[in-house]
Amino acid sequence: MVSATTASPATGARPRAPVHVRLAGFVGGASLDLFFGARDLYSVFARTLYYVVRGKRERGATLRQMHEIGNKSLLFVTVTMGCIGMILVYQAGLQTKRVIPDFSLLGATYLELLVRDLAASLGSLMLATRVGAGIAAEIGSMVVTEQVDALRMCAADPIDYLLVPRFVASMIMTAVLIVWGGTVAFVAGGLTAYVSFGVPIATFASIGLLDWGDLITGLIKCVAYGAAIPIVSGHAGLSTFGGSEGVGWATTRAVVNSSLAVIILNLVISSATFVAFPK
Amino acid sequence: MIRFADIVKSFGPKSVLKGVSFDVRRGEVFFIIGASGVGKSVLIKHLVGLMAPDTGDVWIDGEEISRFDEARMFPVRMKCAMVFQHSTLFDSMTCVENVALPLRKHRGLSLGDSLAEAAKRLDAVQMGAFADSYPSSLGDGMKKRVAIARALTLDPKYVLFDEPTTSLDPVSARRVDDLIRRLSGETGVTSIVVSHDLVSIFGIADRIVMLYRGHVRLLGTPAEFKACDDGVVQQFIHGRAEGPMEL
Repeated sequence: MVSATTASPATGARPRAPVHVRLAGFVGGASLDLFFGARDLYSVFARTLYYVVRGKRERGATLRQMHEIGNKSLLFVTVTMGCIGMILVYQAGLQTKRVIPDFSLLGATYLELLVRDLAASLGSLMLATRVGAGIAAEIGSMVVTEQVDALRMCAADPIDYLLVPRFVASMIMTAVLIVWGGTVAFVAGGLTAYVSFGVPIATFASIGLLDWGDLITGLIKCVAYGAAIPIVSGHAGLSTFGGSEGVGWATTRAVVNSSLAVIILNLVISSATFVAFPK
Repeated sequence: MIRFADIVKSFGPKSVLKGVSFDVRRGEVFFIIGASGVGKSVLIKHLVGLMAPDTGDVWIDGEEISRFDEARMFPVRMKCAMVFQHSTLFDSMTCVENVALPLRKHRGLSLGDSLAEAAKRLDAVQMGAFADSYPSSLGDGMKKRVAIARALTLDPKYVLFDEPTTSLDPVSARRVDDLIRRLSGETGVTSIVVSHDLVSIFGIADRIVMLYRGHVRLLGTPAEFKACDDGVVQQFIHGRAEGPMEL
């Protein structure tokens, strides 16, 4: 019997390392990839912040990106948040009906949940798909067609020229879209509660459970997600290599990593704010 | 003067340049030739900091620039412009905005001044009528002329052309050749041209270097290339399918 660690005399193939060595190699390689990826991401973030303060922005560049990110996402966010709002309230209403058939706190609880978490998290996950994919595809295409090299030849740093307008626009428009999406989700939920369970709109629209902690938490999440999506997607775009296949990979990576960033940030910010603003 | 000194460059396990050294003299039209994938474009990107060598030095006007950071590279890129293989105009800008960008970024000109100067530069390459057109509406030859105007807008001492005649019709290709020759003759610009185009190579080159398997195979004038008895060189310059050249 031929051992896994011995070479085959017939083929002259290199001996395969034992399983535990290969496993260690795989884990080590993945850890290094993660480390270098995180280091590059941090570098992109730090340089973006630097150029936000020190960079020379093109006239109208940020406004154009605000239109791209904000206005063009409006219908998408409205429809998805409206549908999610209806589904959530309907499901919550069904559960409430089974346990304690009292809907007086349905709206207040829902509003607290929306402001503190759901509006920002769900809205940002939607934006991660639309905006993140768009940023990575556009920048990735510019990388593979050497337009980013041409920018560098023109003394325009790609971070300053391409990423900073998207970063600023995303910070502003993510907050705007989340407030809008949250409002749509709340209104859609209120109508669902009224139609399905007969909850009066005035009862549903209660802000009794809302406090400053919820508002601050929601606001922090808006800012954090608005910053994370363009940074993660821009990094994916700038690290594109190869041709159109590379752009495809960059786009996929942008959507996956942006969504992951939103979820991880949600966990971190939620944990911190539950400590800072206990219920 | 430009000097490549023992340039080594690898991409992962693939070794592309294995110790390339040569000089480019002031004011000459210098061609870099060789089979596809031999590292010609990679080599000229070292001159403007778009790539850095694994080992070796790149000298421009007595300054070793291969370890410069991005900010220190800006003055180098002002005097050493590049025309990319596929023109690489910015899709979101009109032709005149494309040409104006280096003027604003490198020289800090205002938008109005840079656009006025860019319009003149477009006129010089017979593209003034298309100043407000977007690159997507232009043919390859027209894009190439706009790209050349953008590269020349800062009056560089050195211009790098990466396959300037690829994808052009013969007439447009010869016009690009004329432009490169005139640049050298009238303004003393040093042109480094990466090309496979044999008509261009033997039409306008002052000197040629041939790269083969990561090394310099031959450096000389067009006449010296024609007279050389190296089978690899002869196969390449005659475009023969059969011969000693390994791909």
